[in-house]
Amino acid sequence: MEKIINYLKSELLKRGMDDVIVNFYETEGRQLKFVNNKVVKTGSELISNIYIFSSRSKRVISTSLKDISQAKAEELVKKIISMSKNVPPNNDYYGIAKGPFKYNSKFDYDKDIMEIDESDLLEKGINKALENSKRVAGNLEVWHLKSHLVTSGDVEVKDGSSNLYFSIRAFNENDESGHMTCCSNTLKKFDIEKTAERAAEIATLAKKPVEARAGRFPVVFSQMAFAPLLNNVSEASSIYNVESGFSFLNELNMKYGDFTLEDDATLPTGFNSVSFDDEGVPTKKTTIIDKGILKTYLHNTSTAKKYKVETTANAGLISPKPFNVVFDCRKGDIFDVKEGIYITNVWYTRFQNYSSGDFSTIPRDGAFLIKNGEIVQSLKGMRISDNMLDILKNIQCCNKKLWQIKSWEAEIPTFTPEVLVNNVSITKPTH
Amino acid sequence: MKEVAEFSLKKAQELGCKYVEVRAEKRTSNSLTLKNGNPELAGFETTSGIGIRYIINNNLGFISLNNFDRDKVFSLIKKSVNMTKKSSRISKNIYLSGEKSQKADYNVSQKEKIQDFTEDKRLNILREVDKEIIGLSQRYLTLGDEIAEKYYINSEGSVISSVIPRISFLYFVTIGENGKTMQRYLPYGAASGYEIIKKWNLARKIHDEIGILKNNLINGVKPPQEKLDLVIGTEVTGIAVHESVGHPFEADRILGREAAQAGESFVNVDMMNTQIGSKIVNVVEDPTIENSFGFYLYDDEGVKARKKYLIRKGMINEFLHDRQTAFELKTKSNGCSRASNYDVEPMLRMSNTYVESGDSSEEEIIKETKKGIYMKSYMQWNIDDKRFHQRYTGSEAYLIEKGELTKPVFAPVMELTTPTLWSSIDMIGKKVEMYAGSCGKGEPMQGIPVYFGGPVMRLKNIKIQ
Repeated sequence: MEKIINYLKSELLKRGMDDVIVNFYETEGRQLKFVNNKVVKTGSELISNIYIFSSRSKRVISTSLKDISQAKAEELVKKIISMSKNVPPNNDYYGIAKGPFKYNSKFDYDKDIMEIDESDLLEKGINKALENSKRVAGNLEVWHLKSHLVTSGDVEVKDGSSNLYFSIRAFNENDESGHMTCCSNTLKKFDIEKTAERAAEIATLAKKPVEARAGRFPVVFSQMAFAPLLNNVSEASSIYNVESGFSFLNELNMKYGDFTLEDDATLPTGFNSVSFDDEGVPTKKTTIIDKGILKTYLHNTSTAKKYKVETTANAGLISPKPFNVVFDCRKGDIFDVKEGIYITNVWYTRFQNYSSGDFSTIPRDGAFLIKNGEIVQSLKGMRISDNMLDILKNIQCCNKKLWQIKSWEAEIPTFTPEVLVNNVSITKPTH
Repeated sequence: MKEVAEFSLKKAQELGCKYVEVRAEKRTSNSLTLKNGNPELAGFETTSGIGIRYIINNNLGFISLNNFDRDKVFSLIKKSVNMTKKSSRISKNIYLSGEKSQKADYNVSQKEKIQDFTEDKRLNILREVDKEIIGLSQRYLTLGDEIAEKYYINSEGSVISSVIPRISFLYFVTIGENGKTMQRYLPYGAASGYEIIKKWNLARKIHDEIGILKNNLINGVKPPQEKLDLVIGTEVTGIAVHESVGHPFEADRILGREAAQAGESFVNVDMMNTQIGSKIVNVVEDPTIENSFGFYLYDDEGVKARKKYLIRKGMINEFLHDRQTAFELKTKSNGCSRASNYDVEPMLRMSNTYVESGDSSEEEIIKETKKGIYMKSYMQWNIDDKRFHQRYTGSEAYLIEKGELTKPVFAPVMELTTPTLWSSIDMIGKKVEMYAGSCGKGEPMQGIPVYFGGPVMRLKNIKIQ
């Protein structure tokens, strides 16, 4: 493999490319999908890819080699060289990082992660949830990733990661459900039973929901419910999305509320923690929003040069990307509201206008009416139809229950507590 | 790859698998992005690999790999079979409906072949569109193509080969006037060669559309806060039929298989033949439409695809099935199983879903509406995971007064339940138009090409927000 990786780099440079990045990944993964308390599918995969990014005179080409052999690599080089003569220049391209770099990050890592018995693990989770619910569905996934990056910027680095992911949705009667996920890099910190217990606890609390009413309310977002919103905020901080119109964070140094949002690929327990970004720059913690002030957009070397700033080590070679999002704000009693709503999950978040921040999302699973600080009734049938900038501005406080969320709706791992937001617009069907 | 597929099938059988199917897939693709007039990236890719699905001791396993070394293939099959056996104590017995084995070889012909289409031609297409919208500060255009070659075999004797080319285009723009903004996002797609680009007439259509939306942004009035008749355009009909008929009629949702992720359905098996819409509503799902984005003739379980009526005369008529749901509901598969690539399991998916044409013209529908809103296109939508409670925000929209379109309306919102939507329809247009999309389902998420559409329709007595 190393021979092919080095061949690709040296041959592309020899034949006239200016910048070359070759990134090899091999993933070995397994999955158990369960429905109505039983496994309905086992999954096993072994996939390897070599991603190649190269440029000549600002002509940028991206491709990959998935059928990995010397003959295919030679064929690919010919095609890249030929294509580099025909594609138009990208005038916004300013090159890749120049190394070499030192990498100091230390992450949780189970080299033997693929040795675990996932059936035993899953059985514990299912049984725990069934103590307080009638049926469960979800996924247990385990995988091991190896990577090897070489670049024309004098970077050569190898890494590995281990990952465990569990998603469980618990159901009782009609419209009584709860959903929770957990993710970890090590088996030791992977608390499948606590996750299952939480899903079932929400399903139990969600007993006999009644129709919610429309209006503006203080809303307490659980970690599962808030993480998808924070995913949207962190994605909006990628300079690529700002330029393309996919962002409501339109002005640096502007105050967007009173909270802090970081991207941190160096967190030892971060699910997406990694020593280096896609061009080999050592990753770091970046404070995107500090006490409400937008401090920086996420950059790679090329976009940073364009805007005359330092890279934040968030390559994405075309679009800079967040790795692990971390939220914090003032600690307080989140349930200290006269009348409000507690939302434990959201689904199908869609923007009407990314630039203005107008969006809607649908609370799913347990949602509850809060009166004088107490949960008094289970609710259903509502939608949050609001503006993301207003949501951020109206963040009041959070509790200390930090949870790392990765889910269908929050693909970027997000560390968030439960958060109280004032004046959230709730709508309902008019028919 | 054919040899590896046959080797894998044989080895899985030798290990005791009662049923085995193998998909060997090769996908060759190209893409080009123009962001604010600047060519950001040219990409090309070839992915190839095999996906193996098997049943052993009545338990289901799936394997994917792109390393064709025979030892590695056999080793992974053995590991997977061991894992499936090990988990059998907590597994559900899986059975597939009995289906006829199939032998077929088909492809979609191209006039302007993807293989011969050069980078400069792709760039010219994007530049022609960009020229028409150059005044907008945020313009994001992508053009892509793909040739999907598939070789499917199963242990029941099916052997199916197919080659399907697809072209896709997406535009996303921000329109700004007087400090206000509006955004428009619309994908195009077809199973075709590049000849489809002429039919799409992109530059002209997008130029006209931006002009209309600018007018809406500047002059659009608030929608009246009273019950009125709502005429929805073909684009809105399309998203509504996909979200609130196609999805809840997927039998895997009805049976709970997607409960944790994509969700379940407000429809249950006892609702077959119940009235869910007005009597003029007929909804069709048909993968066999020539050149459609969701086109295929055999699904990823080797079942022959066919046209089916999900709703006939307003009544629930048929669900979408794969072989697992068909067995559970004691029927036959209607060929809805698809995987987005070799590395993911086949799942029950929509293809091309639409409302059948009615007998009124668009002009007649407007003329017969005393007071209403015409929501021609949309800029935002969502629906709950049982597919019951949905919201569509209009993009191009007008007030209808005394049978005429009078003023543009800014961002009217219809938020209503599925039975209300389909029961309120009292007029259906003659002309069906289809729109392309990528439908997401499964974990890991699989985005799959689909069409959705229908004619203009009128909904009586709707409260707009």
